[in-house]
Amino acid sequence: MAAATCWQQVWAAAQQPPPRFRSFTEPEAAEIAALAETILPEDDGTPGAKTAGVIRFIDAALAGHDEHKRPLYRTGLQQVQQQRRALFPDSSSIAALLTDQRIALLRAVEDTPFFSQLRRHTVMGFFCHPKYGGNRDQVGWKHIGFEPKMHHHHPFGAYEQEPE
Amino acid sequence: MKPMRRYSTREAVDFAVIGAGAAGGVVASELAKAGFSTVVLEQGPWLQQKDFAHDELAVMQRSLYINDHRKQPNTFRRRPEEQAKVQPAIEYARMVGGGSVHFTANYWRFHPNDFRERSLFGGVPGADLRDWPIPYDELEPYYTRAEWELGIAGQAGANPFDGPRSKPYPLPPLPVKSSGVLLDRAAKKLGLHSYPAPMAILSQPYRGRAACSECGYCEAFGCEMGAKSSTLAALIPGAVATGNCEIRPHSYVQRIETGADGRVNGVLYCDARRRTLRQRAKAVVVCANGAETPRLLLLSASKQHPQGLANGNGLVGKYLMFDTGIFVHGVFAKPLNEYKGAVVSRVIQDYYAADPKRGFYGGAGLDARYDLYPMTFALDGMPKDEPQWGAEWKKNIGYRYTRMMGILAHLSCLAVERNSISLDPEVKDAWGLPAIRVTFENHADDLKNMQWAADRSKEVLDAAGAEKIWQDKVASMTYSLHLMGTCRMGDDPRHSVVNRWHRSHDVKNLFLVDGSSLVTCGRQQPTATIQALAFRAAEHMAKAARNGELA
Repeated sequence: MAAATCWQQVWAAAQQPPPRFRSFTEPEAAEIAALAETILPEDDGTPGAKTAGVIRFIDAALAGHDEHKRPLYRTGLQQVQQQRRALFPDSSSIAALLTDQRIALLRAVEDTPFFSQLRRHTVMGFFCHPKYGGNRDQVGWKHIGFEPKMHHHHPFGAYEQEPE
Repeated sequence: MKPMRRYSTREAVDFAVIGAGAAGGVVASELAKAGFSTVVLEQGPWLQQKDFAHDELAVMQRSLYINDHRKQPNTFRRRPEEQAKVQPAIEYARMVGGGSVHFTANYWRFHPNDFRERSLFGGVPGADLRDWPIPYDELEPYYTRAEWELGIAGQAGANPFDGPRSKPYPLPPLPVKSSGVLLDRAAKKLGLHSYPAPMAILSQPYRGRAACSECGYCEAFGCEMGAKSSTLAALIPGAVATGNCEIRPHSYVQRIETGADGRVNGVLYCDARRRTLRQRAKAVVVCANGAETPRLLLLSASKQHPQGLANGNGLVGKYLMFDTGIFVHGVFAKPLNEYKGAVVSRVIQDYYAADPKRGFYGGAGLDARYDLYPMTFALDGMPKDEPQWGAEWKKNIGYRYTRMMGILAHLSCLAVERNSISLDPEVKDAWGLPAIRVTFENHADDLKNMQWAADRSKEVLDAAGAEKIWQDKVASMTYSLHLMGTCRMGDDPRHSVVNRWHRSHDVKNLFLVDGSSLVTCGRQQPTATIQALAFRAAEHMAKAARNGELA
């Protein structure tokens, strides 16, 4: 009987989806993702931070190379939430703000070390090699016209062909 | 291939070479070919072509190939009266091949006048501008040697400001890029002389190595093709094949040891497993770069050399020169795609010489490039008076990345005594050794030269047809990849650390060969000169060893 109970517990646990994030709770991840999307928004039909999977990149970075930056994220996010409540007392979360409200919120904190780190991580997640979890389907590289190739062929640009 | 020869640490090898970089790779290879037993102690790993990858995050943001400031912190201050703070200020490649692996590959010779600027220009108050002990003509055969041994692409005679040369380049120039076409066009309008950039990159297969595939990952990266002419690709394999050379990676040198006679007799280092080992040697050659070389000499103080090795006159670490330059950005109407291929294809050196009529000492070599990889571009590429995040910023980076070209003005940096490398009294590295303390502030003339060169670069971009132009801020440099001048060369032991053969004035069997030997820094791009000096120094060392001077 004891063995069967044990297996039942294991089975039940296996039915739970694994946590999606290693460094954030689900609500934290949603808030950080909303901030990242404000830094690099989907605009004019070009994908933004969300489509690129920037939150995946940040989550992995904070669980690895940048683990020492977790406290900055904790306190930084708290400060941004305070700022949000001050600016928009009726709001419930960053993710629930309107686009213009999120822009106003980030303007209010853009000189903080947390914002500077978040901008850095957002850009990294948008342009990193996709193996790091961001730049999904190379959307970052496509946005700026960067083609990653081992061999490029001349002419590279318009001016090599242009008569003087 | 035969396995590499291994030497016992107890056996006194002919030469222990510290650092396997641009200079150390040359010295080790020359000494081994001359028949001397040589052990090379390199603090970094021995990577191969297959280890290099196009990974901007790891290479540019996570210090994959360079000194990791978390393990090897340095402190920085502008002036000696300030308290130095932990702040990354120096960068060097930390691997077999050193800076020659990750550099952009500009391979400029110094001009003949670089060796006698004090005589030509006169003294500069607040600086110690000096002539070199050797003229260009004496170094010329070794520039040629370096170009042929390593494999340099270029067009002899195309730069009217170059000194005379005994041989053409071994390889034709790399193909012109859009930035080069635009630089040619601007030069023609302005009456300047643009010419094909001399590059340490193979434009054709050479000595069993493949030609460049134009992937564009030169600067800061290692070449997967072996087409960049690093000492790793071009010289180390031959050095090992002599059977006289052992490369020992992951060897972090702590001190050079001195015998009762005041001569050096061995090197104490920490291996990958953190064991402390002692390699005995008849002579020691330090090629650890302009920051680590003086640090190691200062760490090697002993009863015989209480102020540090080779430091009887107290000049070790002084006259530090930084990689001084300024970048002017341009946006063009049509795509250039400068991220493809070798970074630079055209150069202008019309403004190179210092001219007293300008009212300050200084000069500039200009090259056309856009060398920001996607991440770095998005982080730092847009003008500071524009939005740095949000929809408008995103639109700008999307439109501009392929349309950018800049002029990088490579500038002079005056040697000032208080600019220095010293040992920090408090901060230690991960091995428990005193960290490097950097003291640096550009001379006022350097700053005037910066704005003057930025103005010339703007004229060039304007003549090239740029739609929008902006410049980086003129400010004293706080970070450098070229580390020069800290153990300067000279005939007078009162004013220099090594003699014209790179031999310490104080210690007869100790040689210092790297950027630290430079008396002046040309207009940056010091690798060709460092390597020419290394070929020349190695020849002298071999002669001295044969004559029994080092035994």
